[in-house]
Amino acid sequence: MVKKRSDVYSVEIYGTKDLHKTEIEDEEEKHKEQKGNKKKKKAEDLKKELDLDDHRLSPSELEMKYGTSIDKGLSSARAAEILARDGPNALTPPKATPEIVKFLKQMIGGFSILLWIGAGFSWISFGIQLAQGVDSAFDNLYLGVVLALVVILTGIFAYYQEAKSTNIMASFSKMIPQQAVVLRDAEKKELPADQLVVGDIVEIKGGDRIPADIRLIFTQGCKVDNSSLTGESEPQSRSCDFTHENPLETRNIAFYSTTCVEGTATGIVINTGDRTIIGRIASLASGVGNEKTPIAIEIEHFVYLVAGVAISIGVLFFIISVSMHYKILDSIIFLIGIIVANVPEGLLATVTVSLSLTAKRMAKKNCLVKNLEAVETLGSTSIICSDKTGTLTQNRMTVAHLWFDNQIYSADTSEDQTTQPFDQSSPSWTALSKIVTLCNRAEFRPGQENLPIMKRVVAGDASETALLKFSEVILGDVMSIRAQNKKVAEIPFNSTNKFQLSIHETDDPQDKRFLLVMKGAPERILERCSTIMINGKEEPLDSEKAEAFQTAYMELGGMGERVLGFCHLYLPEKEFPETFQFDTDSMNFPSSNLCFVGLLSMIDPPRSTVPDAVSKCRSAGIKVIMVTGDHPITAKAIAKSVGIISATSETVEDIAKRLNIPVEQVNRREATAAVVNGMELKDMSSEQLDAILREHSEIVFARTSPQQKLIIVEGCQRQGAVVAVTGDGVNDSPALKKADIGIAMGIAGSDAAKNAADMVLLDDNFASIVTGVEEGRLIFDNLKKTIAYTLTKNIAELCPFLIYIIASIPMPIGTITILFIDLGTDIIPSVALAYEKAESDIMNRRPRNKRRDRLVNQQLAVYSYLQIGIMQSVGAFVTYFTVYAEQGFLPSTLLGVRVNWESNGINDFEDSYGQQWTHYQRMYLQWTGYTAFFVSITIQQVADLIIRKTRRNSIFRQGLFRNKVIWVGIFSQIGIALILTYGLGHVTALNFTPLRFQYWFVAVPFAILIWVYDEIRKLLIRRHPGSWWDKNMYY
Amino acid sequence: MARDKEKRSCGQVVAEWRAFLWDPRTRQFLGRTGSSWGLILLFYLVFYGFLAGLFALTMWVMLQSVDPHVPKYQDRLLTPGLMIRPCAEGLDVTFNVTQSHTWEQHVRALHQFLEPYNDSVQAARNAACPAGRYNEQPDDAVPNYPKRACRFERSRLGPCAGLGPHGDYGYGSGRPCVLVKVNRVINFFPGKNKSINIVCAAKGHSATTHEEDAALLGPLNLFPPNGTIDLMYFPYYGKRVHVNYTQPVVAVQFSNATANVDHHVECRLNAAGLRTDDERDKFAGRVAFRLRINRE
Repeated sequence: MVKKRSDVYSVEIYGTKDLHKTEIEDEEEKHKEQKGNKKKKKAEDLKKELDLDDHRLSPSELEMKYGTSIDKGLSSARAAEILARDGPNALTPPKATPEIVKFLKQMIGGFSILLWIGAGFSWISFGIQLAQGVDSAFDNLYLGVVLALVVILTGIFAYYQEAKSTNIMASFSKMIPQQAVVLRDAEKKELPADQLVVGDIVEIKGGDRIPADIRLIFTQGCKVDNSSLTGESEPQSRSCDFTHENPLETRNIAFYSTTCVEGTATGIVINTGDRTIIGRIASLASGVGNEKTPIAIEIEHFVYLVAGVAISIGVLFFIISVSMHYKILDSIIFLIGIIVANVPEGLLATVTVSLSLTAKRMAKKNCLVKNLEAVETLGSTSIICSDKTGTLTQNRMTVAHLWFDNQIYSADTSEDQTTQPFDQSSPSWTALSKIVTLCNRAEFRPGQENLPIMKRVVAGDASETALLKFSEVILGDVMSIRAQNKKVAEIPFNSTNKFQLSIHETDDPQDKRFLLVMKGAPERILERCSTIMINGKEEPLDSEKAEAFQTAYMELGGMGERVLGFCHLYLPEKEFPETFQFDTDSMNFPSSNLCFVGLLSMIDPPRSTVPDAVSKCRSAGIKVIMVTGDHPITAKAIAKSVGIISATSETVEDIAKRLNIPVEQVNRREATAAVVNGMELKDMSSEQLDAILREHSEIVFARTSPQQKLIIVEGCQRQGAVVAVTGDGVNDSPALKKADIGIAMGIAGSDAAKNAADMVLLDDNFASIVTGVEEGRLIFDNLKKTIAYTLTKNIAELCPFLIYIIASIPMPIGTITILFIDLGTDIIPSVALAYEKAESDIMNRRPRNKRRDRLVNQQLAVYSYLQIGIMQSVGAFVTYFTVYAEQGFLPSTLLGVRVNWESNGINDFEDSYGQQWTHYQRMYLQWTGYTAFFVSITIQQVADLIIRKTRRNSIFRQGLFRNKVIWVGIFSQIGIALILTYGLGHVTALNFTPLRFQYWFVAVPFAILIWVYDEIRKLLIRRHPGSWWDKNMYY
Repeated sequence: MARDKEKRSCGQVVAEWRAFLWDPRTRQFLGRTGSSWGLILLFYLVFYGFLAGLFALTMWVMLQSVDPHVPKYQDRLLTPGLMIRPCAEGLDVTFNVTQSHTWEQHVRALHQFLEPYNDSVQAARNAACPAGRYNEQPDDAVPNYPKRACRFERSRLGPCAGLGPHGDYGYGSGRPCVLVKVNRVINFFPGKNKSINIVCAAKGHSATTHEEDAALLGPLNLFPPNGTIDLMYFPYYGKRVHVNYTQPVVAVQFSNATANVDHHVECRLNAAGLRTDDERDKFAGRVAFRLRINRE
């Protein structure tokens, strides 16, 4: 029996899986999870430990068990002992990767390996050349050092970036240390909550966070909000009684990290720290590993691609150069050059910067991104599973409709209401408003007079708060009205009565009657009424009027609203004189034959920005699924009002009702919408769930437990979707982890949810997710542009090496010079592309298909490498040949000279004019060639930068000057080139020389050609969508 | 943010690659059908054809702007380099007097180098110019009119001319000759109208070692005397118009260098207004080499 029960408990925490799987599937599961044995074992442990029986024990048994005394508490010495044994009462933070490991990962990740290989080769050739006594050996040593520095610096940069974004979160999750009132040594003490030990007697009052798992021994009107643990949104009352076998269900246990909403309680601490229920869930959630984000996969794909190109070209030319009888050592040096030319050293840093820029932008729009890469994940999202309460709605009950005088009035439910527009002239409204105002225990917390009414904090439950605010908005100072109508007796609401009653003096000094006001469940209220007020006059409640009431009640209820009935009675002065003592226990006053006044219905209304955001999602091809614990009717009403279920679409039930046929006969495919009840979901196989997710475009999951969220997420992921999930509770954390992007609520979210999430919504607003999606899509497009821009010049850096090897011309560009392009001139422009505005409405496109729409696709690589890159190379080579020709070496002379050109011993090398050059004179000319090549690439990269601003539209349509940062990029590019050429032109080690000014312009025609060609390309793409050109040229 | 990794077996990967290489169903090779390949290759043919044409055109335009007789810029050649002959690997003249095969290559190289300097050749091709002044031949009416070169007879190198039956430039007798020449630079007027000459000396690291080294190296004989280079050999007008130009050389004979010792010799061009102390270019107006005469 005990065993079986524990299985049931495990379902609540761990078991979304176990619950819904048949035995056979369980078998499969075992096979699958053989690797995950450890995890499984942990789960088993959990099941056993959860077998806690403290809720069954009596207080005296508990005293014995924990060696404590309910009157005196633990002794300080004993507490210290237990504290030493159990450790502090705090959750162990999830095990963090050691900093050094993170750092090393940056050092060897991405292209770093290739560069390390390059550096290694450099040092090897340095060693060999040194042994051979070659003068230029040290060049290789320096090159190796530079390459190593590049790796280390970019590694440090990436590490710093990551650390920075982690720090944001760390600071976010840091909490003010919690205090707890503890009885120790027979004295009440206030201690930090992490000092609590098992056996401590703690006192809790409304508003406190429960500091540990506590067995209650004394309660007074205590209610706890367990929503973060079990997902129940209503506060649960707590008592000392053992009400349920399941410790999670029984009323006499309060759980760590839940909050006490009202009342007071005293209890014995039974579990602390990681041994609390929450602690166990948290440790389970942290076991779900973080896997790669879509952008990480894309970048990895890109790194593989580029590394593949680098290695294959490198190896190919190594073989070529060896077979061309180059020395092995020379061939190795060529190989280094090819690797360095091929690897976009600065790119990964640029991507990081671009992502963090977007992250910053998103943070401004209330999306705090924990993991930089999640920025883009949000952009590729195709399904958003959103909570209802607080995310889609305002998370506060608001009066939405009124019914009096046989008429329904609607009230303003917007966030910042200051007046109510409905007709308030009827005397019935005056009567109703009086009941609403008086029969209400909620009060504003003091000191908020300057706040807008809707933002004020109220002590009281959700409905009463709604009513209080409602009457405050319409009538003004409610508290003074209440003071004028002094309350003389009151029966608070309870679940058996289902009404609330109070008796007041009237504010009319002439009128000595007492006013009895009552509110409650409409049908209960109606039962107690014999008359109904119409236009201020009491009329007998006949069946026709009762019918009208029923219709109104059904209509309001059908809108998913919580309906309350209101009635009153002026007590006859004779029977109830001014001195009459009302006794609420014996009910010495009438509570039937009252006068029914009206109905008020309340709902948690949608946020005003949400419908717009939902329709944006719709046009962006993102499916929005509502997952809520609420009643299906309420859920559906909200879904309809925000557009998750569009006005025209019907559920199977709707169709059945319209056609008047049984639900079973409806063609399921006709129904675009579906409202799935959590109970149905429980009995569904994954195939059935898949079918629902496939067949219906508008889905609402109602009455779901947070655990079922995980099933829904898994179902969506089986459809190949990138799923974003919102969540706030602790047991949302597995779903948040499982989702491609978990979004925690910043205001309502628990720490566990925030920890598990990739993103935190600071304002809990669904609309912020949509702006996030927009940013994510934009950054994906812009990263494409950045990468295309960066890859292009790789060819212009690579070609010199290839031609140098094949044609044996003097080296056109040096390895160090390449690094100055990759890490110097090109960095700011490529970041600048991250600021580019969207070309067209990116929210009118379908989400990115993970498999087909790659970040770096074939078209991008081919267009950059084989077209623009080659054009750049041609331009740069023209500059190179011009420089040499004007110094005396005509192109024909340059072919095949490599060996003599580079020979140290030949100092009378003849040029095309018969002049003779020393080795150093030639080297200086070679560096001038490097500089010229460098300048040409820079100039053409300016053109490349401009053409990359758009992929489809003409630059002129995008606006040349709209993105100012691009111009910062262009000026920085040219500025850095000027500094390198003229400022550092005399530092020989850098191989720059002060270049004659006219050489800056040799490549300009080619730059213009690049621009013109790309405009033609874009024009043809726009003119002929779907054509061969479009397919091959659009990246 | 979790995502189950798609696990594919090795066989599947191979099959996928094979399908990529050749998909019989769609008749695609490397992801493209034959016509698609044809089209793309045609495109690149046209594209690269265009680029090649453009490259050729711009290069042609550029070359049109280049003067074939005088390079546009000579700023890198302000100080001509000096070089020696024989030009052994690493400027290292090492030989063994008694083993003729160790120096025969040097002799051959010198013979070859001095071939155009033969008196008969010089007399036939070149003019006898007035000594002591630049041989300027301005273009008057016809640009780039062919220029005459001045004679530099081989015989002026005396014992280092390598003439006669034992024309071994002294290598066979342990008194080797090394020729020093000045790099050709178009329109270069050295010495500011004053005579210029080549100076050679042992290259010591300090004053004392310098003297010791000089003693070990022994006397140096320069031909033409004093290592003078006559101004008439300047300027040089470039190989197109100055076809028969033979650049002046100075021969250095080490008449009594100590055997079996490394000698470091440095020769400089001594001309007014010419810097020969460039730190980076070790051959600007100077040349340093190693000499070692081995005897058993």
